[in-house]
Amino acid sequence: MKLAISSNGDSLESSIDPRFGRCMYYIIYNTDDDSYEAISNKSRQATGGAGIQTAQDISNKGVDAIITTNIGPNAFRVMESAKIKVYSGITGSVRKAVEDFKKGSFDTISSPNVGSKFGMGSGSGRGGRE
Amino acid sequence: MIISVASGKGGTGKTTVAVGIAQALEFCQFLDYDVEAPNASFFLKPSIKNIEKVSMKQPYFLKETGADFSRCAEFCHFNAVAFVKGEVVFFPELCHGCGGCILVGPRGAVREKDVEVGTISKGISKPGINFLMGNLIPGSMRTISIQNKMNEYIDRDGIVIIDSPPGTSCPMVTTVRNSDYCILVTEPTPFGLNDLEISVEVLKKLDIPFGIIINRDGIGDDCVENFCSNEKIKIIEKIPNDINIARAYSRGTTIVEYQQQWKDRFLGVIKGIEKETN
Repeated sequence: MKLAISSNGDSLESSIDPRFGRCMYYIIYNTDDDSYEAISNKSRQATGGAGIQTAQDISNKGVDAIITTNIGPNAFRVMESAKIKVYSGITGSVRKAVEDFKKGSFDTISSPNVGSKFGMGSGSGRGGRE
Repeated sequence: MIISVASGKGGTGKTTVAVGIAQALEFCQFLDYDVEAPNASFFLKPSIKNIEKVSMKQPYFLKETGADFSRCAEFCHFNAVAFVKGEVVFFPELCHGCGGCILVGPRGAVREKDVEVGTISKGISKPGINFLMGNLIPGSMRTISIQNKMNEYIDRDGIVIIDSPPGTSCPMVTTVRNSDYCILVTEPTPFGLNDLEISVEVLKKLDIPFGIIINRDGIGDDCVENFCSNEKIKIIEKIPNDINIARAYSRGTTIVEYQQQWKDRFLGVIKGIEKETN
């Protein structure tokens, strides 16, 4: 089974990036052989639709489930269409998340847990109207 | 001649200045390009003669064809389209209506339909202000579609005053790009200066002559004046920080209606601009 975990860095010791769409990296972890690959998230800087593009990229990788802290409505809709399970509200290191997942300690969610533009952060100001 | 009134920071007094100038001129064209939150009509109180609907092309995807829409998803710069596990997911609120997905997508499987994005109201404000106001449907991102449509109604023969939206992104750029001169309204505070600097950068890039009006003069500090003198930017007028001007404004009374001197001062501003741009 293939997992994608939003991550602040490129190793299993990295912490989970709380923003799904604008995460720094996502780590694709294969639970069958415990191999993983860290991918720098090129959609992080998108002016809009970052979550959608990140979800698209992850779906293209043939992922079965994602683990993150916060996921917005648009990315969630793409995940639903792609039939990718969503485990949100997860914090801590990527390694711990994988271990907890293997133990079956997570529940999937059936709706997004944050609103649109949640991961935009500061600095977009009023210029962010378009 | 087209004069746009912009600011960067919101709430600095763009509309105060724009409607003041229009009233001082008495005969001109006035366009409210802040289509996300138009408010000039509160002050100019036009009698609206006609409301035109503005619609835009929006794609729809014939899913039943089972076609591969992955190229549409790859192409869309605004990430309005995703294609996952053979299913297309479309986000109309992110779509800018460029039609690219029709060009790159599977032939015949992406079509277009008209979707209403807002309105343009046209009317007359006394004595002779030809008034136009754009109004975007809440939630729509097609600000620029309405502004571009409004561009078609600009009458270059007389003086045209355009009230810009705040910020320095696409809606502001679309507003100022066709103007012969831009008035930047700012307040003399660090926040005002921060956004003023960005606006100045935009106007320099677009090669549009501009000058500054300082509103609420007397508050804050001298950072804006220092910036203008260092950059050799002209301060063309100052409006004092006067609670009575704010009181009048809050009742829908313009600064020109409140104090007759502003009619002459704004006419002076226009004269200066005409001299500078000729």
